[in-house]
Amino acid sequence: MFTRLRTPKGTRDHSPEELEHYRYIENKLREIFELWGYQEVRSPTIEFVEALSTGVGPELVDSTFKFQDFDGKILALRAEMTAPVARIVTTRMVTVPEPIRLFYVSNVFRYSQFYVERGREFWQAGVELIGCNTSDADGEILSLLISSLGKLGLKEVRVDVGHASLLRDLLKATGLDEKKKGILQSLLAYRDETRLEKFMDQNIFASKLKEVFLQFSCCRKLDEVSSISIGSPKYGKAGDHLRNLLEVQDVLADCGVEDSVFFDFSLTRRIEYYTGMVFEASVPNLGLPLGGGGRYNDFIERFGKLRLPATGFALEVERCIQALKAQGFQIPEKRKTKVLVSSKFRNMAIEAANVLRDAGVVVLIDVTKDDEKKIRDYAKLAGIGYVVFVDSSLKKPAMVYDVRSDTSENVTIGAFLQQIGGQL
Amino acid sequence: MKREIRIAIPSKGRLKQPSIQVLHRAGLNILVEKRAYISKTSNPRFEAVFARAFDVPVYVHYGAVDLGITGHDLILEREADVYELLDLGFGNCQLVVAAPENSKICSINDVPAVARVATEYPNLSRKYFEGLGRQVEILEIRGTSELAPKLGVAQIIVDISSTGETLRKNKLRVIACILESTCRLTCNKIAYRTFENEINGFLDRLRRGGSQ
Repeated sequence: MFTRLRTPKGTRDHSPEELEHYRYIENKLREIFELWGYQEVRSPTIEFVEALSTGVGPELVDSTFKFQDFDGKILALRAEMTAPVARIVTTRMVTVPEPIRLFYVSNVFRYSQFYVERGREFWQAGVELIGCNTSDADGEILSLLISSLGKLGLKEVRVDVGHASLLRDLLKATGLDEKKKGILQSLLAYRDETRLEKFMDQNIFASKLKEVFLQFSCCRKLDEVSSISIGSPKYGKAGDHLRNLLEVQDVLADCGVEDSVFFDFSLTRRIEYYTGMVFEASVPNLGLPLGGGGRYNDFIERFGKLRLPATGFALEVERCIQALKAQGFQIPEKRKTKVLVSSKFRNMAIEAANVLRDAGVVVLIDVTKDDEKKIRDYAKLAGIGYVVFVDSSLKKPAMVYDVRSDTSENVTIGAFLQQIGGQL
Repeated sequence: MKREIRIAIPSKGRLKQPSIQVLHRAGLNILVEKRAYISKTSNPRFEAVFARAFDVPVYVHYGAVDLGITGHDLILEREADVYELLDLGFGNCQLVVAAPENSKICSINDVPAVARVATEYPNLSRKYFEGLGRQVEILEIRGTSELAPKLGVAQIIVDISSTGETLRKNKLRVIACILESTCRLTCNKIAYRTFENEINGFLDRLRRGGSQ
């Protein structure tokens, strides 16, 4: 019933005012990403399910909208943008020199898997730095993230960084079975230190490894990580991962943003492809992260051609708006003075509109042919600044009605332009 | 000066009083005002919010409150992505599958292929039966699921049981345990980052209070 009046669950309309907020965020981010040398790409909203589900993990695949094409192939709506970008790089950018810097501002779609209901369509703005495996690249992504959020007007931005492979290698080093590893990981993720210690005691951890786990879970700053010694070769490449984090810290210090970056050993992202640092950005006034990302070195090769390490992040536009509002930030509105031009002589109305528009004034031409009173009433209700009633020639003074002061005067178009010049 | 830290406390039911007591032992007294959902506490930095235990995980997830006291079972059921900083050691219970004593259902294997399950925990129930590869129809109800088999609307129920008394009274038999739960101090992930020192201090007081 009434489906023609509603939008499906998890989707919504955006009013002009809301859209102005969206545009503020999107345009600002575009501007910053471009200043850092990133180029925008756009991918189709629908793709083959294989292209979108490669390597992202079952959770995301489950929450992807899927449907059938005419020829029977399964299509899907993109649930995130890293897979489409990886496909674009693999198929369209083979000859482009690396590193490749790309960004996107796109809507993505997810079935709500959570009890906690979420939007099923939301907008993401994100960047990918592809073809480079240095800590400098990781550092660039983090400082671009911090810089972007700062430029939006957000205060007290912080980024918490973990490392997908560091956690994975150390969990592996415990020698526990999958089930117990799962318990250990969730205890770390719960930040329940009491039970974490108890669990490790019960499962006879090598005291050294136990100490490493506890130290990591207490670490809050990236540079504190250096005090943890994990010399043992039994811990996989944990030593390399630590070095990576410390190098990232150096880059961040050079960028002057190290104070905004914290360490969170337990941090994991819900998407599977991450291999290196992973991170989340937040502000104290909003209970949910603004976005996040990480390094994914084995992901692009799953598309079958190129073996390219990469790193990137995505921000949720809506959450950025919520965070700005929560911080009391007034999103600047493009409040341009609007002028309504009316004339008994249509060609004169058009000519006057052209003159004003050429000068950058927002002009609406009256198309109602209503009488003066009705036109004034409309102007009052529609947020219009001035109504200009043009006579048979632009050389003759026009009657200009100032909506706010409810007064009229006769001036030429040129004089009117000068008069409102300050309000443009 | 940072804003107050909000802690959600179950507004009724078996978790309410022990929650208030555990806070009291940690030196946090709620200055109760009748019918007020938000109360001041003896610590000016903390504000108490009374909410249904079922809703606490959601409030914490969204950061509507910073901390919350609720059951582990409810956190899992609502799939809240939150920290569980401390096991508060009360509210022990099990989420169980139960069938009428006089039925032929004595174990999960006896559950008929077209069984209907009455439960307040549709999410965990669905996952449990899916994990076993069994198809069941989930009937989400509020409150007394024990009634459903009596009315013949469901063959089995999934509900929490602490002593087993309610089940026995209603002539129901436990045929499987889905999970064990206790009451937890949950925390919004971003609130923890923002208020880490204060929250850790509070945790210490809770741990010390709990061991007395």
